[in-house]
Amino acid sequence: MSGAAPKGPRLGLGLSEDVDLLRFEQQARAIEAAPGPAPATPREWIRQNLFSGPVNSLLTLASGVFVLFLAYQILSFVFVSAQWEVVQVGMRGYMIGSFPVDEAWRVWASAYLVIILAGLSYGVSARRLRPSAGQVAVGAAAAAVAGAVVFFTAQTPLVRGLAAGATPAAIAGALVGRLFGRKILRPLIVAWVLVFPAIMIIVRGFVGVPPSEWGGFFFNIIAATVGIVASFPLGLLLALGRRSEMPVIRIASVGFIELFRGVPLVAWLIFSKFVVDLLLPPQMVIPDIIKAFLVMTFFSAAYIGEIVRGGLQGVPAGQYEAARALGLSTTRMMALIVLPQALRSTIPAMISHFISLFKDTSLFVAIEVTDLLAAARRSASSLLYFGTDMETLLFAGLIFWAVAFSMSRWSQRLEVRLGVGRR
Amino acid sequence: MRVLRAAGQVVFVVVLVVIAREMYLNASFALGSAGRELSYTYLDSRAGFGIKEHVLGYSPNQPLFKAFLAGATNAMLVAAIGIVMATVLGVLIGIARLSSNWMVKKIALVYVEVFRNTPLLVQVIFWYVAVILAIPRIESSVSVFGLAFVSNRGAALPGIRSGADFGTWLLFVLAALPVAATVWRWRSRVHERAGEPHYRWLLSLGVVAVLAGAGYVLLGDAFRVELPELSAHGYSGGLQISPEFAAILVALVVYTAAFIGEIVRGSIMAVSKGQKEAAQALGLSPGQQLRLVVLPQAMRVAIPPINNQYLNLWKNTSLAFAVGFPDLINISTTMVNQAGHALETFSLVVGTYLGTSLLISVAMNALNRAVALRGDTA
Repeated sequence: MSGAAPKGPRLGLGLSEDVDLLRFEQQARAIEAAPGPAPATPREWIRQNLFSGPVNSLLTLASGVFVLFLAYQILSFVFVSAQWEVVQVGMRGYMIGSFPVDEAWRVWASAYLVIILAGLSYGVSARRLRPSAGQVAVGAAAAAVAGAVVFFTAQTPLVRGLAAGATPAAIAGALVGRLFGRKILRPLIVAWVLVFPAIMIIVRGFVGVPPSEWGGFFFNIIAATVGIVASFPLGLLLALGRRSEMPVIRIASVGFIELFRGVPLVAWLIFSKFVVDLLLPPQMVIPDIIKAFLVMTFFSAAYIGEIVRGGLQGVPAGQYEAARALGLSTTRMMALIVLPQALRSTIPAMISHFISLFKDTSLFVAIEVTDLLAAARRSASSLLYFGTDMETLLFAGLIFWAVAFSMSRWSQRLEVRLGVGRR
Repeated sequence: MRVLRAAGQVVFVVVLVVIAREMYLNASFALGSAGRELSYTYLDSRAGFGIKEHVLGYSPNQPLFKAFLAGATNAMLVAAIGIVMATVLGVLIGIARLSSNWMVKKIALVYVEVFRNTPLLVQVIFWYVAVILAIPRIESSVSVFGLAFVSNRGAALPGIRSGADFGTWLLFVLAALPVAATVWRWRSRVHERAGEPHYRWLLSLGVVAVLAGAGYVLLGDAFRVELPELSAHGYSGGLQISPEFAAILVALVVYTAAFIGEIVRGSIMAVSKGQKEAAQALGLSPGQQLRLVVLPQAMRVAIPPINNQYLNLWKNTSLAFAVGFPDLINISTTMVNQAGHALETFSLVVGTYLGTSLLISVAMNALNRAVALRGDTA
């Protein structure tokens, strides 16, 4: 059990209840994971779980009819009436927007970098994590869908080959990772830290592609990553500032956090486009997209500040006292004793923030960025494919969902491994 | 050390003030070179643009201030209805997640995983374009016994129009409230003393209904029920719901309910198992166990995170821009496009969002204090 008791009434605009939500879920999962009664025969199972009484039987029948109806509707749409050609034609736009085609290798290189790193990391950690039969089945199903999409939508043999090559690349990474095991853990962590700057150099460097031309799903991922990476240092400062003994610093931090959390991201994005220029010196000209990233960084930092504060509150007072007793200065106490413990416990909340930020990147359409969703809308509005709103929305939604869902699953597994809520 | 800290804080304040002054000067200079100045007087000038939906009444001849107000009230209306509906749906989802019925449990699980892992914007557009605009056109409206109509131009339901004596009738209702409260207290006392069933909901509501009904009969023209009519131009009369309003409302409710459902599930599971077993031992029915024992305790832990979901819902009304519903953001961008004054308009937007968020938080904190255990003020 976590030491944090339910918090009493606190006045404020946002506060750290996201952290509370995660705590609830952790508790709920822990209770669900507890061993239940012995498994029954299939017949008994059906009776107990579906037809234990008249009300239950009625519920089962009603929901069964509902599920069948929905499944029929969805399947008949997906396999019979849907015009998937629009997705086939629009795929490049969905992935990279108006990114110049000749420069697309930069995106491929970045993607491969991440895929190989992910494979390596999986290989290193897989010694402890053996996939169950169910996981293999789900993975195979996901791979089948992804493979079908690739072979249906890829326009040239090169693209087809590159997309198909992702799987062997990931597997090769996993095998290499397995070979070296935990010996390469440290270099791997360093590589993950460097991967974002590296991608920025690949995309932007060597007469690269300016941010104003980034688009599609690539944009969604980059924007969410910027939102986390760039705002982390500021968020850390805000969390420490909020707990500072100096009233001015504390008030400024609280004001910053509440201001940015209290107003929706759409409003901040519009602010970045229409208002920021007014506040800057006239000779200072910043591209729209950079201003938007800056404002999003502030927005995200306010949330990260609250997450880290939640983590700091979870560090027992004894840790501070012990550090003091050892004669550590405040800076060293924070850097060596408190923050490592606090940050470790915030990882699930950080991933959850990343997921919601990732979903929120679709809001950049408000300042005319063609992200995945906007590209999907655009392809549905072309004369040739008029009336394909359902197809394009479902496809874009599926991609967002797949990423968000698998990240939330990954975060649940991490929780178990980090022992969050149990230490 | 103390001196150093004080000096540090002073420097910090000075830096902040310098930055703020610099921004102010930049803004005044930018506006000045455009022949404008930083002021809010533009809000009194004629708006000149139409707004499709408004609660308090609005016409293009009214000042910009009224237009802004129309946007703000539209957003608040969506949020208010959305909060109520999302809470009801969320609690149902949360309970369904814990159902002993496998089928119901899995449906609730799929619901939660689908809706909370998809961007809200995708959902808003989906409800608008793929669902609401796809229902039959107005010429072939679906009619519900001639009382209500549904088509891709929205829905029209029977509405209530206030009559000439509406004000007087409200006095009747107001007068009924203290009487109902007295009845409530009397029944509670009887219940506590003698253990008789209290029926306090039934009796208090009955008192209000009887007095309000008497007022309606006596006055003759308190209000009328107005049925919508279908004409060549669309609907007239009754309570009309536009497709845009319906889309943003449904999307917000469905999305937020997924999160509230998870909170409710978590807090029900946080109630110790012994409580439910004790309720069972006392012979309460499953419904009573949930309503009288488990939910009231679960509510205590659930309120702070649910408050956060309410705030999110309020802020997410800003996604109405995607379907053209005239909310705060939509109206403000129109205002800026028509009349300029981006900085001033934006400050109003920030103020409205923060102010309303604060109101929601204050209300929820009051509720939290009301249901908190005595002495549990940690």
